[in-house]
Amino acid sequence: MHGHTVKDTKTGSKIAIVGNPNVGKSVIFGLLTGRYATVSNYPGTTVTLTTGSCKVGGEDLMVTDTPGINTLIPMSEDEVVTRDILLNDEVKLVVQVADAKNLARGLQISLQLAEMGVPFILVLNMWDEAGTRGLDIDAKKLSGAIGTTVIPAVGVERKGLKELRESLSGRRFSSLNMTYGRIIEEGIGKLEALLPESKISGRSIALMLLAGDASLKPWLSRRLTPSDISKIETIQRNVQSRFHEPLGYVINQARLKKAEKIAEGVLSRQQKNGSTLTTSIGRWAMHPVWGVPVLLAVLFLMYEFVGVFGAQVLVGLLEEGLFGSYINPYMTLIAERLIPDLFFRDLLVGEYGIITMALTYSIAIILPVVGTFFIAFGILEDSGYLPRLAIMVHKIFKLMGLHGKAVLPMVLGLGCDTMATLTARVMETRKERVIVTLLLALGVPCSAQLGVILGMLGGVSASATLIWASVVILVLFIVGFLSSKILKGEGSDFVFDIPPLRVPVLSNIVFKTFSRINWYLKEAVPLFIVGTLILFTLDKIGGLAAIERVANPVVVGFLGLPAKATEAFLIGFLRRDYGAAGLYALAQNGQLNPNQVVVSLVTITLFVPCVANLLVMVKECGIKTALAIVVFIFPFAFLVGGVLNFGFNLLGIRL
Amino acid sequence: MMDYNRSRNQLEEDRIDEVLEVIWMLREEGGASTDDVRKRSEDPEVDQVLKMAESERFVLTDSGRLSFSPQGEKRAENVIRRHRLAERLLSEVFEIEEKQLEDHACELEHTHVLSEVVVDSICTFLGHPPTCPHGKAIPRGECCKRFLHDLKPLVVPLTELYIGGDARIVFISSKYHARLDRLSSLGIVPGSILRLHQKQPTYLIKIGETELALDGELAKEIFVKKIYTS
Repeated sequence: MHGHTVKDTKTGSKIAIVGNPNVGKSVIFGLLTGRYATVSNYPGTTVTLTTGSCKVGGEDLMVTDTPGINTLIPMSEDEVVTRDILLNDEVKLVVQVADAKNLARGLQISLQLAEMGVPFILVLNMWDEAGTRGLDIDAKKLSGAIGTTVIPAVGVERKGLKELRESLSGRRFSSLNMTYGRIIEEGIGKLEALLPESKISGRSIALMLLAGDASLKPWLSRRLTPSDISKIETIQRNVQSRFHEPLGYVINQARLKKAEKIAEGVLSRQQKNGSTLTTSIGRWAMHPVWGVPVLLAVLFLMYEFVGVFGAQVLVGLLEEGLFGSYINPYMTLIAERLIPDLFFRDLLVGEYGIITMALTYSIAIILPVVGTFFIAFGILEDSGYLPRLAIMVHKIFKLMGLHGKAVLPMVLGLGCDTMATLTARVMETRKERVIVTLLLALGVPCSAQLGVILGMLGGVSASATLIWASVVILVLFIVGFLSSKILKGEGSDFVFDIPPLRVPVLSNIVFKTFSRINWYLKEAVPLFIVGTLILFTLDKIGGLAAIERVANPVVVGFLGLPAKATEAFLIGFLRRDYGAAGLYALAQNGQLNPNQVVVSLVTITLFVPCVANLLVMVKECGIKTALAIVVFIFPFAFLVGGVLNFGFNLLGIRL
Repeated sequence: MMDYNRSRNQLEEDRIDEVLEVIWMLREEGGASTDDVRKRSEDPEVDQVLKMAESERFVLTDSGRLSFSPQGEKRAENVIRRHRLAERLLSEVFEIEEKQLEDHACELEHTHVLSEVVVDSICTFLGHPPTCPHGKAIPRGECCKRFLHDLKPLVVPLTELYIGGDARIVFISSKYHARLDRLSSLGIVPGSILRLHQKQPTYLIKIGETELALDGELAKEIFVKKIYTS
């Protein structure tokens, strides 16, 4: 749909890792390939394909990590990706990862893989958790029942890895099969006769079609004549008319029944009671009453760690200490000695110098915040708190035409809006995806920006922070509410898997934080340098003053800010965190009073996050929608800032 | 209908019921012809009964295709409704095994066994189920339109289960296909045993080792029967 195809491999046969959401596919992927794919404790972390290589016994293998699925009849875009890789690619072996605690749900997928006729092996991950819950699975017996290799594993402890690697060289076809009753079987027979050649069995495609899988349409229309397609549709309708319930539901039920029967045959249960501390906290975090203090506690800890420790203590150390007292003075000294030309000297260490501005901002002001945020966020992700947060805020999101699940991309947006916009794929309908994308672009500050903002507001007053946060949240809510009324289309149902609360694994937090910081440095720093170069050039040719004059009525007149704030907004078009950093510098020089700090921060918070975010918006929503969003956002940001300024003046508020 | 019962022998009435039932079921599967009825019916004198049904103006024949007259439609609907509700009652309440289900249900489908009032009470008691245990539609009765609540039903929407209660899903009554697909892919299907953990801010249920959050609107459509553990 969006070119999700994996980059063609140079060598090696393809291994695909598939399975239910949140069963640890990415962990297994990491173990096999040594490549890090983001691992978290909530369903929907992986929304695109990641590919890495793996060598087993001299054979080169290309391993692909896929988004989680509950059935191979896709219901959202991320699920389409997984089905399509089986449908279109030459896959040598599927590694199905299942949660040992929820064997039947895993077997539901095994049944479908067997139906497709693709060779697969079954990894029963989280074997230890099944054990502590009193579940004992006879892996050997299960292997006999489904006719393929079954490997008990604990991914995060690397248990089962050796057996898994050894099984990769083979190609075992499962002996599982099942029937769906006379009427459906007849339908399958008729459909199979019409279907084109394919990589997976006609039977499995016939079942997808019977279940009413609309995502197969493009695939079919590339291969069949319109008259055959209409025959297929007639067969589907005829079979459906013999059932009161939708066929997809009938088929799912049959599979689940079969899966449960297999599971019952190999499973023994021991009563284990007594709740552990993690399960209790897990409960409290979703409780209608206790959930609120838990949420406040989480917010408070986050603020202390990111807003105070990161944005104030670490930034102080780096900006005033490292850069202010050492790097910048020394670099200036060296530059003065070595670079006689004033132009080039300014380029490095002048007012808009690459070192004194771009690197100081990106390394000293933003990096500590991004770093601390990613650590805190990683802990939140891995603990399993986020799905619980989804429950707590579900009702508020419902008013915005969304549901609790939308909190995942929104919170992820606090890390990075660009990544979060991709995650909007977990929402099922286009309307939901557009609203999430709009809200992310409009008012969810990314960690870089958030850090600068918190650092600035921390220096003003608590009430300033409160006003900023309330205005932004209010604006998000109003825009969300209105767009849910204006945009056509439907919402989707809120049914959501809640994973158990877990103690995060330190190494994963470290890995994740490291790879995210690495990503930030690669993504943001070059843009900072570009932005600085633009300012530098404009300054040298006298353009800056001209733009400031043009923007004067808006920036000075309407927003009540000093003319120099124009520079911050200018680079804010490139990256709004960079713009915020510019405001930060202004505030530090005493050029902004508390009112102006709040007005300017509200305005820049509502900017489109960055150029990269814009590109992702275009890719995910199409150019028309993306442009509409941008055209709406910028004037709207200034409007809100202006109204706030006006309100301050009208009410005589002096912060 | 009572008049017929008086004027005619009970057995014949029951045989007409059976044939009407067969025609109804064939119609659900696409259409009924005289041949189909002959094949499906267990009555050795099916032609005779068909003729009787025709002369009573319950069934109309048009070149081998059978259809109901308005009064035949009404009578067949009643028979089917009785039969399928009886199946539900026997399987849900008395937990009678599937093999024996059919025989018992067949006996309960006749007017002289269960009166309209009793049938509506059973329907209400079961929470107005839309389908029989085999997934076929139960024709709606007057009670379903009124959705009586004065009788405490045995099968209730999830929203009426108490927190901490264990229950078995009996049926899911939703007109949205995608919703049924999604629920079933997560293991929410008739027969699944669940425990209700909370109702606010969203519903939270546990099926096996899976915990699922769901919106109240979905919970309203999931009908469950409480399980009492001693």
